[in-house]
Amino acid sequence: MPIAKLSRTSLSGLAPINPVLKIGLSVGLMVVALCLQKLPAMAVLVGGLLLLTAQLRIRLVGLLYGVLTLTIFALSSAWLSGDWPKAVFSTLRLLAIVLPAPVLALTTPPSALIRALQALRLPSFLTLSLMIIWRFFPLIQQELQRIWEANQLRGIDLSRQPRQWFSGLMVPLVFQMVTYADEVTVGLQTRGYDPEAPRSCSQPLRWQHIDTLFCGVVALWLGVVGYLEWVR
Amino acid sequence: MMKSPWSLRDYVFAAFMTIGMVASIFVIGPLVPVPFLQLVAWAPFGGIFLTLGMARLQRRGSVALMIIPLALLLAPLSPAITLYLVLTVFVTEAVVYLRGNYRPKANRLLGNVVFFASAIAIGLPSAALMVGGVFAELLTKPWLIVGLAIAAAVTGAIGWWLGEKIVSQLRRAGKLDADS
Repeated sequence: MPIAKLSRTSLSGLAPINPVLKIGLSVGLMVVALCLQKLPAMAVLVGGLLLLTAQLRIRLVGLLYGVLTLTIFALSSAWLSGDWPKAVFSTLRLLAIVLPAPVLALTTPPSALIRALQALRLPSFLTLSLMIIWRFFPLIQQELQRIWEANQLRGIDLSRQPRQWFSGLMVPLVFQMVTYADEVTVGLQTRGYDPEAPRSCSQPLRWQHIDTLFCGVVALWLGVVGYLEWVR
Repeated sequence: MMKSPWSLRDYVFAAFMTIGMVASIFVIGPLVPVPFLQLVAWAPFGGIFLTLGMARLQRRGSVALMIIPLALLLAPLSPAITLYLVLTVFVTEAVVYLRGNYRPKANRLLGNVVFFASAIAIGLPSAALMVGGVFAELLTKPWLIVGLAIAAAVTGAIGWWLGEKIVSQLRRAGKLDADS
């Protein structure tokens, strides 16, 4: 199974937008999604998010998986409640809560996200943990892929033999991760890294014209949603 | 300023255990497309990394050190998941606080069981309140929530058992200085 490929995407035109603005928008969109009660307003909100999602190059497997999950959710909601419009509304609300994730996070370069978290003045140990997670997650995914393929070369198809997952996948993965953790610690210590010391930033975040433009478009979009919900 | 009880090595180790948990979600996730069943299916794998982290860090707050950065990382993606993770960690740490720390195996088992069972007990009602739909319908069937929580506790315990097996292997290999 191509594990590493499932989450591989590329950055889009939304990449230059201020990441703090994106975080704020993500929270704002979730609050709006929770407040809406009318189907047309929710449909416009989700429609806008789908337009933004279209900018991402999502793999077909990921797309099909998303559609399957939503279909199961909608069908089971309708079956349990016996109310189709309510089931559709709940599914749209789920989309509105879940969609800002791929749209706003996958269009943010890791370095920009770390700068945003530093700008939010988080404790330094949290920034360190986040940096490590963001930096080494793709590497561990590749490692997982390599272990999976090494098993295939030995004639073990892990997707069909879950009993082999512990000895064939988890044990080598954990040993590799512990080795990485030790090496990273030594690397940081030899560079004199101190998690308690204040950090500097060579490229601080700044508000740009594109951020103002983005805010305008979002305000227009949310204005239409608000009109459909509260005025019409 | 108060000195942190954690060392750089602890922070890095906890971060790698978090990566392990997230990476295992990518393996299990596509196989089970139903949200809370996913958690039950993921618990044996997530539990391995949770146990390893507890065994290596040992102090109170070990689960928080592994999960809070993850919750924070998910904040831009979904504040709801962040809130649910923080509450789950709070419950787990509060229960283990009464028993001491994560040094004894029994406390690590308790930590795993409470973490995964409370994830269902907190997550399902939260999802019902926020999303509605099938989650709200599930609230009318409390036996289902209890059943799922028990299933998550059992699979979390399996995760603990597998985690302890790896802990002993790592100790034999001289890669982990955890107490038995």
